[in-house]
Amino acid sequence: MSEAPAETTPAATASPETALLETALLEIRGLQVAFGGFRAIDGVDLTVGRGELRFLIGPNGAGKTTLIDVITGLTKPTAGTVRFEGLDLAGRREHEIVRLGVGRTFQTSVVFEELTVLENLDLAASFRRPLWSLLRRGRGVSEEVAAALETIGLTSLARSRAGVLSHGQRQWLEIGMLIVQRPRLLLLDEPVAGMASDERERTGELLTEIARDHTVIVVEHDMDFLRRYASQVTVLHEGKVLMEGSVDEVRADPHVQEIYLGRAREDAEDAVR
Amino acid sequence: MTAVEAPVEAPPVVRREPRRWQGPAAFAAVALLALVVAPLLLEPFRLGLLAKYLCYAIVALGIGLAWGQGGMLTLGQGVFFGLGGYAMGMYLKLHDAGGDLPDFMVWSGVEKLPALWTPFGNPVFALAMAVAVPVVVALLLGALVFRQRVRGAYFAILTQALAAALVILLVGQQGLTGGTNGLTNFFDFFGQDLAADETQRGLYLTVAVVLGVLYLGARQLVRSRFGRLLLAVRDGEDRVRFLGYNPATVKTLTFAVSAGMAGIAGALFVPVVGIISPALLGVVPSLELVVGVAVGGRFALAGAILGAVVMGYARTYFSEELPAAWLYLQGALFVLVMTLAPRGIAGLAAGLVRRRREAGT
Repeated sequence: MSEAPAETTPAATASPETALLETALLEIRGLQVAFGGFRAIDGVDLTVGRGELRFLIGPNGAGKTTLIDVITGLTKPTAGTVRFEGLDLAGRREHEIVRLGVGRTFQTSVVFEELTVLENLDLAASFRRPLWSLLRRGRGVSEEVAAALETIGLTSLARSRAGVLSHGQRQWLEIGMLIVQRPRLLLLDEPVAGMASDERERTGELLTEIARDHTVIVVEHDMDFLRRYASQVTVLHEGKVLMEGSVDEVRADPHVQEIYLGRAREDAEDAVR
Repeated sequence: MTAVEAPVEAPPVVRREPRRWQGPAAFAAVALLALVVAPLLLEPFRLGLLAKYLCYAIVALGIGLAWGQGGMLTLGQGVFFGLGGYAMGMYLKLHDAGGDLPDFMVWSGVEKLPALWTPFGNPVFALAMAVAVPVVVALLLGALVFRQRVRGAYFAILTQALAAALVILLVGQQGLTGGTNGLTNFFDFFGQDLAADETQRGLYLTVAVVLGVLYLGARQLVRSRFGRLLLAVRDGEDRVRFLGYNPATVKTLTFAVSAGMAGIAGALFVPVVGIISPALLGVVPSLELVVGVAVGGRFALAGAILGAVVMGYARTYFSEELPAAWLYLQGALFVLVMTLAPRGIAGLAAGLVRRRREAGT
């Protein structure tokens, strides 16, 4: 699977990942996903090293969410391999992949509304315990959960039902539920979609904080958010990797400008701003 | 609340812990009523009826766990109830026959005790099977069905079909199961005359205590982390997968617990009522149990129990007074509850308490 467009950008070949190849946390090779006749992903290669904060961007239908779905076992690929820490993820079920250390959020956050914020976090934190030990009454708050509550800024709402949280707070709770699971790879699917600007800011800070000691892949549409918080960016277009590079390289790239121009004027204006 | 698909009224925003003494006090009051007051006040016939309703309440408790907490609408609890009942019935039959063939086998021309029956002469074995067989059947069914992500209405229909299938199986094996008549004509229960008032009172007390113990166990389960996990599976099975749990395991285990409860209920039902037959465990009785749980309130364990007892009394009353109307009343009640009070009697009561507390008294 050669990546024709990638060759046009020197950044992709000379990127620091080449050195990290041996220890790459996530390695995707020749990935294809077809829904009926439609190729949602058409030969994607992607390598993410430990400790990276990687942004995945691209216009609607570029295959960003599909890529996340494949990594997390929700969608089965038609061809190609996904390796996490050298392990082939093919044929593993969703919860097994989570247990290997891959966590994700969804575009529309799904927290458990009947449970309190604290209970949501506690449930997420307990997933490695043997099932029988869950029968004991969980009392008190573990340090880990307390720390996560602090990080996501929901300490004062710990005993409220998650059903009353705002959209932004739900996303943070989801991120908190990810953190307490101590994943080795976090996949965030459009974390700021539908957020007000102050919420975006807060989410950006949260992301920066998490990225300090986690490997994170963020799917994002929002160019402003990208400009402020991204460093390494992979651009997907029509199921292929269009280019990889730093934010500045990506924004300066005529191809990227072109596809954003062709797809949506507003995004394009954001992109070149 | 943004909940689009939640027709159920929203519980309070901040979950306030009920005052510590209230729960135990209520439990003690009900226990006093059931263990002391009822045996003193009720004549033996009425006490026997209550014992029967409490047997149904044990099944209802299991349904409350599986359906109310776990979202598994099981329309075939009669299967597990029946398996438990038949295990107990087989022991009682062999015990009464005292080494001979049970009476119905003689009538059906069976000449030698079937191998399946032999070990049931041992009461410990029979009691163990009354629980073990339902649990194992539920585990196998759950492992098959939940792994394949069969849920909702499909699961409900499957369990209902199972109830229908068991009835056909039991009716068809006249010599082995007593056919349509089932197993009946029991006389002796562990050395005591089953017809005696004393024995029946003892049985009533046993059923009440077992129900109380199972209720406390189920309550512990619901309040544990496992209970929260079960709620999470009910409300977002797919999301639970991405927390690293396998929802199929959680559902299978819960379903098995509810099946075990139904098995225990069946085993107690047989000496209390004196019969177990296909008519008692088919589609209709299984459905009636679910209706009872819905009326009582499926989201509260106590609601499920209350529903079974209320429906039991309603059924007895109306079939004595207006036998023709009962079926329609039951249907109407179900529709009314589902549309007007989806949380059942328990939900209405909780709402009342909440309103009073908020009024500042």
